Amino acid sequence: MRFPTGAATRTDLETAAERTYDAVVIGAGVSGAIMANELSTAGKTVLLIDAGPGEDLTVKGYESYLETFYRQAVKDNQSPYPRNPNAPMPRSVDIGPVAPGQPETSGYLVQPGPYITDTTYTRVLGGTTMHWEAKTPRFLPEDFEMNTKFGRGADWPIDYDELEPYYREAERELGVAADVDSQREIGLPFPDDYVFPMHGIPLSYLDQVVDTGIDGTTVELGGERLPLKVRPYPQARNGVPNPAFNDGEGYRPVGAVGTHRTDEGERCQGNNNCVPICPVQAKYHAGKTLAKALQTGRVELLTQAVASKVHIDPANGRVSGIEVKVYYDPDDPAHETGMITGHTFVLAAGAIETARLLLASDLPSTSGLVGRNLMDHAYLLNWALLPEVAGTMRGTVCTGGIVDLRGGGFRSGQAAFSVDIHNDGWGWATGAPYTDLLHLVDDHNLFGTGLRRDLATRISSQLLLAFMVEVLPTETNRVTVDPAYKDQLGNMRPVVSMTIPEYSMRGVAAARQVSKLIFQRLGAKDFTRYDPADPSYVEFDGEGYAIRGGNHLAGTHIMGTNKRNSVVDANQRSWDHENLYLVGGGSMPSIGSANVTLTLAALCYRTAKSMISELN
Amino acid sequence: MSDTSTNNDTTAKTDDTTSTTAITTIEALHEYLGRAMQLEHATIPPYLTALYSLHPQTNSAANQVLRVVAVEEMLHLTSVANLMNAVGGQVDLTAPGFVPEFPTYLPDGEEDFQVNLACFSPATLETFLKIERPAAAPDEARRLMPARRRTDIMVTAPGDPELRYYSIGEFYAEIERGFNYLHDRHGDQLFSGDPTHQAGPEYYYSGGGELRRVVDIDSARSSIELIIGQGEGVGTGAFDAENELAHYYRFEQLKLGRYYQLGDEPHHPTGPDCEVDWSAVYPTQTNPRVGDLSGFPELQETAVSFNRFYADFLALLTKAFNGEPELLIEAVPKMFEIRNKATVLIRNPIPGSSATHSAADPTPDGPMHAAPTFEMESQ
Repeated sequence: MRFPTGAATRTDLETAAERTYDAVVIGAGVSGAIMANELSTAGKTVLLIDAGPGEDLTVKGYESYLETFYRQAVKDNQSPYPRNPNAPMPRSVDIGPVAPGQPETSGYLVQPGPYITDTTYTRVLGGTTMHWEAKTPRFLPEDFEMNTKFGRGADWPIDYDELEPYYREAERELGVAADVDSQREIGLPFPDDYVFPMHGIPLSYLDQVVDTGIDGTTVELGGERLPLKVRPYPQARNGVPNPAFNDGEGYRPVGAVGTHRTDEGERCQGNNNCVPICPVQAKYHAGKTLAKALQTGRVELLTQAVASKVHIDPANGRVSGIEVKVYYDPDDPAHETGMITGHTFVLAAGAIETARLLLASDLPSTSGLVGRNLMDHAYLLNWALLPEVAGTMRGTVCTGGIVDLRGGGFRSGQAAFSVDIHNDGWGWATGAPYTDLLHLVDDHNLFGTGLRRDLATRISSQLLLAFMVEVLPTETNRVTVDPAYKDQLGNMRPVVSMTIPEYSMRGVAAARQVSKLIFQRLGAKDFTRYDPADPSYVEFDGEGYAIRGGNHLAGTHIMGTNKRNSVVDANQRSWDHENLYLVGGGSMPSIGSANVTLTLAALCYRTAKSMISELN
Repeated sequence: MSDTSTNNDTTAKTDDTTSTTAITTIEALHEYLGRAMQLEHATIPPYLTALYSLHPQTNSAANQVLRVVAVEEMLHLTSVANLMNAVGGQVDLTAPGFVPEFPTYLPDGEEDFQVNLACFSPATLETFLKIERPAAAPDEARRLMPARRRTDIMVTAPGDPELRYYSIGEFYAEIERGFNYLHDRHGDQLFSGDPTHQAGPEYYYSGGGELRRVVDIDSARSSIELIIGQGEGVGTGAFDAENELAHYYRFEQLKLGRYYQLGDEPHHPTGPDCEVDWSAVYPTQTNPRVGDLSGFPELQETAVSFNRFYADFLALLTKAFNGEPELLIEAVPKMFEIRNKATVLIRNPIPGSSATHSAADPTPDGPMHAAPTFEMESQ
């Protein structure tokens, strides 16, 4: 995919401030890129504003991310992306030891605690899809009706059927590889003749070992007996195109983004570090959509530009402009400030940054719900050694998992969850494989051939099960701002308060039991240990768990049926400001136990359609 | 530099059944296609050697260009296998002599160069440019020229080693004429091969060009034209109808230090800078032999093991092309293994050796590095 040369620097604040765009979009992540592409394809002029560094997406630039990643001793999910004090991002490695009663301030997010999340999002062109894992399950129909079906959480103002055609658009844009029958089996309706753009990515050998081991196993949840089976995940990464896609038109995989033609990234090579960066760009990232949007010639990109205040016309409540701080150098706070104007405005900065911007602009909305109902999946990690070498470290990070526990009557009492089988071993939990080397050298005095043999055996026998536990909207889980905490540019940092609700903790406790059962069936030795000193340690019913963040942020400008119960309507339009759209995970009233990107992309397609007819 | 415009004529003649052709029997067509597979494969070891001689994390431009060209040569090899299978021929990549002994001659219109197994360098790049050079015969009478050398020349006319084609493009044009001629004589009976032996698009894709099943005269023609187009380019432009840059021009970007962009005239790229670091290369032994490593048992064993693996790989492809196309999926991880094994050799200096390069050659001096020898046991 060709990124027009110079597109990242073609416009500047002075020039942009003189124009009035059909739409001004804040944030060049997946939501912003889709909105810009849809609007510009429909003939609208768009200014896309991004806080990240102002460089064209080139293969060389991508390779510099890779080099940074290879060099890092700790390969966390932000490790390829350089620090930028003018547009900082949360990094799990920044979280320091927390003193009781003191807020956690060493990371970008200010967290009063006691629960400290290590959740992240990425502030570079392409946003968090640069580091995402690219699993793209749809939400279940029941996820849209949590209150009606289970008396829990909130209903969406739209249902699965309403969103279904937009799911297909999102699957085309993201290039999803999956076999439709495997998705029908878990209760997802599709049109009869639908096929995904590409055939499913096959289950890894590790998946197959687990599936064979748990064959015939059932678990009881809320009085129901549910079978355990390993099923493949739909994924936004290039595999084998399905010639039957789009009524036999087929699908052409989208490869690497650059200013010249590279013919790279057309197929996944199983490099196993999808997170934090695919070495060959076979994994979808929003740069692919961004490049396409820029090719229309109607999208201008203003980079190194941090939106700092939304201005409202008091006469009619409409947004009159957005104040932007443009910096020259990530390490230098020097910047200029200007006002950007347009007919409509789209905030697509992610659930935390969009809420932060509104609250910093003193716009909590009529409902007062801006920043509230912050959701993220609560991840419970469980790790064990299999009795046999199972090929761990082969394949993409995650090819399969147990998804039959995503739905069911038990959700009236406890959270649902899905179980990811990690092909990258214990990395997320323990820092493997690097920590394994230290362990075998320091604790077992191994060297030479013995070290090589034991290291290979140990790593390729590792099994990590990551349970993605549902979290419901809770008003006290929230983003706020506080003038006492500002970044280098003087923008207020997000203050994040989160606790894991009891409903989710019941799911966590059940998840731990399920993991023990699975390990027992597999004859695997459980090495799971949750450290009470972990800032993410939570006690429940006498047991302690470390709850990792899922980077699936949602809920902060929740969608609903009126201006008192929600921030946006079903089209993601602000109830209070008729020319303002808030798009992304922040609009979601529930997140079930599915990764959120595909669903937020589908929502963007639906919103774009409504915006375009509005603009016309 | 050859005038590319004359190339138009050769490709425009696809339906001109009045053209004379040397291919008048199906057996002759089989022989030509066998040569074509040998030819497509012969470029792969030199391209891979140059590719894997680049220092890791450097020379991204050269890395991308070499990788794409090598991958497309594999597409061409598979396309020719499809052509052969379509007309009931036998595909055998394990036959004695299938892998050439390097250095070897490859035709490009002049017999002025040999192809070496060598590290990436300005000289190597010049050779690659010659291999892919757009070259059409000046006129019909000169498509077939007397061969000055009888041995080592691959694109001699089968049946008459005294003659050879002006270029690879002309050789394929002859094959296309042969298909047309035989199709006129035999009709669709020409395509008597087992269709289940065809490898379809699901087994290959890259940015440009698709693997097509060959089942009739149209699919045969389009497969041949893809091979000609991706290699030397056709017509007057650097880009083909799918906006893909021909190999010649991809290599030329490395020489000229600039990328082509759509609309550029041949030899005048105007895209972004294309940087090459000639010193970030392992100076490998040119045309290495297993025998050269006799003093270094570990290196020698690694070189032997590479060759064995490569021979097994060609055997796997042969099986895939003989009715089990799904084995091509299995071949993919083996290609990574070929890279890993080649890299082990290339990153290891040969003790006591030294490579001294002329002042004009930016390749680093120092001990020579080992490299895969691609010597097949059957030879």
